[in-house]
Amino acid sequence: MAVPTAASPQRAHGAEPGSDRDVFTFWPRHNAALYEALENKHVHVELDGDPLESRMVLNLGPQHPATHGVIRFVLRLDGENIESCLLDIGYLHRGIEKLAEVKTYQEWMPYTDRTDYLQPYANNVAFCLAVEKVAGIEVPERAQWIRTMMCELARIQAHLLWLGTMVMDAGALSVFLWTFKYREEIYDIMDVVTGARLTVSHCRIGGLASDVGPDGLAMIRKFCDDLEAQMRDWKKLLDRNRIWLDRNIGIGTITPEEAVELGFTGPNLRGSGIPYDIRIVEPYLKYDEVEFDVPMRTEGDSLARYFVRVEEMEQSIRIIRQCLDRLPEGPIRADNAKAAFPSKDEVYYSMEGMIHDFLMTDVGVAPPKGAESYHAIEAAKGELGFYVVADGTGAPWRLKMNAPSFKNLQGLEYLMEGAMVADTVVLIGSVDPVMGDADK
Amino acid sequence: MKDTPHGAADTTPQVHADQQKQTLKFFFTPRDALAGEMEKLRRENPHAKDTTYVPDLVDALKARFGEALGEVALYAGEHTVYVDRAAIVDVCRFLREEAGFDYLCDMATVDRFTEEDRFEVVYNLVSIPHRKRLRLKVRVDEEDPVVPSITPVYRAANWHEREAWDMMGIRFEGHPDLRRIFLPEDFEYHPLRKDFPVLGIPGSLPLPPQQADGDLVYDPFPRAHGDLPED
Repeated sequence: MAVPTAASPQRAHGAEPGSDRDVFTFWPRHNAALYEALENKHVHVELDGDPLESRMVLNLGPQHPATHGVIRFVLRLDGENIESCLLDIGYLHRGIEKLAEVKTYQEWMPYTDRTDYLQPYANNVAFCLAVEKVAGIEVPERAQWIRTMMCELARIQAHLLWLGTMVMDAGALSVFLWTFKYREEIYDIMDVVTGARLTVSHCRIGGLASDVGPDGLAMIRKFCDDLEAQMRDWKKLLDRNRIWLDRNIGIGTITPEEAVELGFTGPNLRGSGIPYDIRIVEPYLKYDEVEFDVPMRTEGDSLARYFVRVEEMEQSIRIIRQCLDRLPEGPIRADNAKAAFPSKDEVYYSMEGMIHDFLMTDVGVAPPKGAESYHAIEAAKGELGFYVVADGTGAPWRLKMNAPSFKNLQGLEYLMEGAMVADTVVLIGSVDPVMGDADK
Repeated sequence: MKDTPHGAADTTPQVHADQQKQTLKFFFTPRDALAGEMEKLRRENPHAKDTTYVPDLVDALKARFGEALGEVALYAGEHTVYVDRAAIVDVCRFLREEAGFDYLCDMATVDRFTEEDRFEVVYNLVSIPHRKRLRLKVRVDEEDPVVPSITPVYRAANWHEREAWDMMGIRFEGHPDLRRIFLPEDFEYHPLRKDFPVLGIPGSLPLPPQQADGDLVYDPFPRAHGDLPED
């Protein structure tokens, strides 16, 4: 279509020359002048040196869709390369360790749901195990098998989110929706089994709050079958995907010595070839009685960590199936009144039950003064441990949470230096921090 | 009750003298260990692991560092060695280079709130090739809460020592960059100390205003401190 000028203005549609709608002007002179100026425009560029060589400070965060939580990366960039990087954390610091000193052990349990909020059940189990170690409480068999199974389900839950967000940050948005569909199924399982979707707090010191019925077990079994079938498709999409490989191979390579030196933990260690998994080194619950492999890679780059986590999901399904087959009947809480809550039947129908329930709520478990111990589990992010110092009351004197994401972030700060800006999201995804854990 | 109905006698129940002494305080009364309980828990803990039971290593440390070590504790199958703060870097270097303890798993700080040796720094070291775990503890006084930094030996101690400074106020000599990690630099207190109140100190941290157009609030719990917010 010819550009209208002052000499040849645009005519209105269907207007005959001579009628009063002859000339459809719509500011023809203004438009004409505009188009003329566009032709004649000179662009003045004042270069302060080559723009690709200029240095700047870039703040990635604290509000950023790709940083996996509220964290601030302060990057000094030299063009596209990151010269130096500082992490500013603490935006999600809630002071839960201080609160632990004024609450009984059971009262503090819901705070653990909110630390690594991608796998709340595993946090509960980690804390329960730590307190049971300090107090010397033995947990019945059925409770241990259920805890094992639900811990692995929590691991799948966390890895599903990791997979979805990491691939989404790299560009493939659909994977996020697919993995979240399965996370929704896990939420439904948690709802049926524990009563809550996200902040479960199902564990009690000495066992579990309630038993898993056959409908919950059937849901878990069905979930395992569905997820296994679906993961084959996801692997077909990603494992040999040229774009995915190009974005991940050689990015964020951690040598084995560096991994141990920097304090990495979990799949970050195992992606570099370090054989350290708490389930093997310090077995807890029923991990010494189920058969599973611990995936490892030696390349140490982002793709190696991807394979480690995806295979961990498959191994988790294997563990869950074994737990489902071997789940024994029995009580789900220790019978000792000083160690665990009595059952609700006892509370309602016997005086001792009522008294014990009252004391367990008010005082709680009271490990002796001077008792202290550390117990760790292999969470999805790494080694999650609790160092409990008891003082004879129902509340701990000091509770230190060994958060895996805190240690991984320290290593991430080192990994970022020397990388390129476009790789930041891939690096963050491959190290997989979660701020609730890191900031406590 | 002061405002009894007119003419009625004071009907407050009289409390006997010895009843007044028996106050029920089972929450806050610390419980010492029962007879034989600590022994039992040391030996028969169902959760004790064999990675934490390292008597040979403890003997090797005692042989090497005799005077610089304090007591050795054992609970739930875990060995804990108390180390003098002047020797901690050497002990860590020995453990790293000669005993194979290559991984610093965790560092914690404990406020014992005692007159002497108020603070404790706890190091959790792991030997990945030998699959062993050891806990070291350094005790420092309140007047001089300085510990030599072990960052030359374990690089991973960097952020842990920053957290110890932030939360407990223990300085680490030789740390490359000792700044606060969770809290802003403007914050003046060390929250995990026992004398820092759980509800915070009014004025220590500016908080968002109660109403959208109000001023910054400086008291995190105004109602708890008897200070109702303006409505």
